Amino acid sequence: MSGEHKGGFLSTYVFSKDHKYIAKQFLWFGLIWLLIGGVMAMMIRWQLANPGEAFPLLGKLFFPRTGGVIDPDAYNMLFSMHGTIMIFLGLTPALIGAWGNWCIPLMIGAPDMIFPLLNTLSFWTVVIGGAVGAYSLFVPLGALEAGWTGYPTLSTTVGTPGSGETLWAIAVFIIGASSIMGGINYITTVVRLRAPGMTWGKLPLTIWGLFFTAVLNVLFLPVIGSAMLLLIFDRVYGTQFYVPATLTSGGGDPILYQHLFWIFGHPEVYILILPAWGIVSDLLSFFARKPAFGYRATVGAMLAVTVLSAVVYGHHMFTTGLSPMLGESFMLLTMIISVPGEILFFNWLHTIWKGSLRLNSAMLFSLGVIFVFGLGGLTGLFLATIATDIFLHDTYFVVGHFHLTMAASALFGAFAGIYFWVPKMYGRLMDERLGKLHFWCTIIPLTTVFCTMFVSGWSGMPRRYADPTSSPYVAELQYLNEITTIAAFILGAAQLIFAFNFIKSCFWGKKAPDNPWEVGTLDWIPAYPVPHGNFATTPTVVTGPHEFSHPALGPDRDWISQTEALPETEGKTA
Amino acid sequence: MTTTTLPLQDRPTETARSRVDSAFGMAIFIGAWSMAFATMFLAYMILRQRQPIWPPDDVVLPSLAVAIGGTLVLLASSFVVHRAVGLARAGRAGFARHWNVALALGLIFAALQTWLWADLWSAGRFAHTGMYETLFYGLTWFHAAHVACGLIALGWVSVGIARKRYGHSSLSVPVNVAVFWHFVDVVWVVLFVTFFLT
Repeated sequence: MSGEHKGGFLSTYVFSKDHKYIAKQFLWFGLIWLLIGGVMAMMIRWQLANPGEAFPLLGKLFFPRTGGVIDPDAYNMLFSMHGTIMIFLGLTPALIGAWGNWCIPLMIGAPDMIFPLLNTLSFWTVVIGGAVGAYSLFVPLGALEAGWTGYPTLSTTVGTPGSGETLWAIAVFIIGASSIMGGINYITTVVRLRAPGMTWGKLPLTIWGLFFTAVLNVLFLPVIGSAMLLLIFDRVYGTQFYVPATLTSGGGDPILYQHLFWIFGHPEVYILILPAWGIVSDLLSFFARKPAFGYRATVGAMLAVTVLSAVVYGHHMFTTGLSPMLGESFMLLTMIISVPGEILFFNWLHTIWKGSLRLNSAMLFSLGVIFVFGLGGLTGLFLATIATDIFLHDTYFVVGHFHLTMAASALFGAFAGIYFWVPKMYGRLMDERLGKLHFWCTIIPLTTVFCTMFVSGWSGMPRRYADPTSSPYVAELQYLNEITTIAAFILGAAQLIFAFNFIKSCFWGKKAPDNPWEVGTLDWIPAYPVPHGNFATTPTVVTGPHEFSHPALGPDRDWISQTEALPETEGKTA
Repeated sequence: MTTTTLPLQDRPTETARSRVDSAFGMAIFIGAWSMAFATMFLAYMILRQRQPIWPPDDVVLPSLAVAIGGTLVLLASSFVVHRAVGLARAGRAGFARHWNVALALGLIFAALQTWLWADLWSAGRFAHTGMYETLFYGLTWFHAAHVACGLIALGWVSVGIARKRYGHSSLSVPVNVAVFWHFVDVVWVVLFVTFFLT
């Protein structure tokens, strides 16, 4: 595994087996899809605020048949594909693919992932999945129209006759396979390749988050894979798994799909959020110059969330006629999952309490995760409670809630990772002034967008209406849609600051020192460019990842590398 | 490129540690795929308990005799492949012979599976005919896809054995393929019990 790259152009730059190169591939791949999904979000917001008006600039290009106007069919495709793209092709690669690949070997002191070929396959599988998804946009009758959840009966051949829906199911299946490959690799690497002395108790919390994510990936992506396969069988071969008895002669069950989808779908929320939690837990300690408060409790809480995430999925299905006993069990379990969530918040706040905060971009985005996840988590209580969920189901309240929890938090986690690790990834510092501008221009409109959705959702605005002015009581709420849309366009424009900063800094930024953040984790030991094989000699770990401001270190230095032992304190006091 | 005359030659890259790594990764892989099949069986349970009568009245059941034959053949294949790995580990002769027998038995199973389908087809029972057919075809298709992958992997290892690619301490690839083949076997036994004995 160690030694220099040998091989031609293809094996170095395309099918590289080096985890650092694959991390960069995942990052760029994810960012490009985030851009595409983001443009779709802008179109959705445009339509909601200005129904029936042509989308400016790009409209004529994308919707030539209607002269730039987003018709209801196109609107259905937009929100369906926006969800699918953001979750499976944007956030998953940019957060889990990129930082999983970058951090796991470097932070545990390993020369590479344990199965480098599987790693390469994982990336190129997601590329194939993305290509199938992209192709589905251009087939006759268009792409998926049944929402990102693809519920039957909308997703049966009766609801959506074109091949777009089938291609979508195939794409999700392929992307799922990629995540499983990644998960197998992550788990095995963390278990088997930790450097000497890197005990489970000395693992950076980033690695813990990624590890639990990998466990959920391996357990629950196969479930969505099978669910998609059954949908493909239904659509292509005429089986009746999800086709209800009333539609044709079948005897299948559309609710079965919802069960299978959410058995995967709820863990997927935590698949996206756990790496962000891990990154945040580390970064708060790094930039508060204090040890992470309650390290073991944080790990325990993440473990508890991982376990509980498997048994709460029914709260997505309160309105399906679930047995009341089952519904109440799911409600109780969902409420219980907020307990480990609160432990995490408590630990994060205690970590930064009275710390010497360094409010750089990475830290701001970490604090941003706390803020947006807090908002999303608190509003989750309304959706976990059956009595309120039945009223709020399928309203914009839900849209606001899940965007804050799984979308914004995971995105902020990815941004924090980018601002934090680009100095080692590309050897250049990100522009801090632009980074801070990006943060403030993101969090303010983002909070406005999704909190306004809480208001409109609470007032009864349903999801997925192509024209909110079409129904009188929803038309009353049009001013809320307009506020949301204005904020959304500011939010979209702010991401251009990031795109500019990212590209400029990666290639022309200020050269970064070897350890710009003065932290002790192993990923900052090798100098840029990190060689193939990472470490010249395998590091031996003796200290935890968060030993900041330890009294024994003296007044001049407040951090210590994980490979250095803490100096003996004179006259040890407990 | 050594020119040893031993029947099996070692790849020096494989260590005791890397063998555990590989077995660990394979165990997680099998765990993941078990979830995929568990999902299919969950679908089966839910859809079957929704039917008033099982099997439905007008259904043409696939041949029990052929299914029993297939089960025995697949079990035998799994046993022989296990024996092949054991022989290879001990550095004894017969690795190639046993492996090829297992491959042949696997091919016979595939033929018997096709027979089961062909019987139903000739009786005019297709995937879209009814709920029994939906479940039977859906689950056996998914399993058969794994049989096909298993056969390709077994064949790949057969070629590798012929080219003397594996030695008694460099058996990770054959061992993993054998584990996958056992998994395919176990899933078939569950499928057999599900469709033919309950």
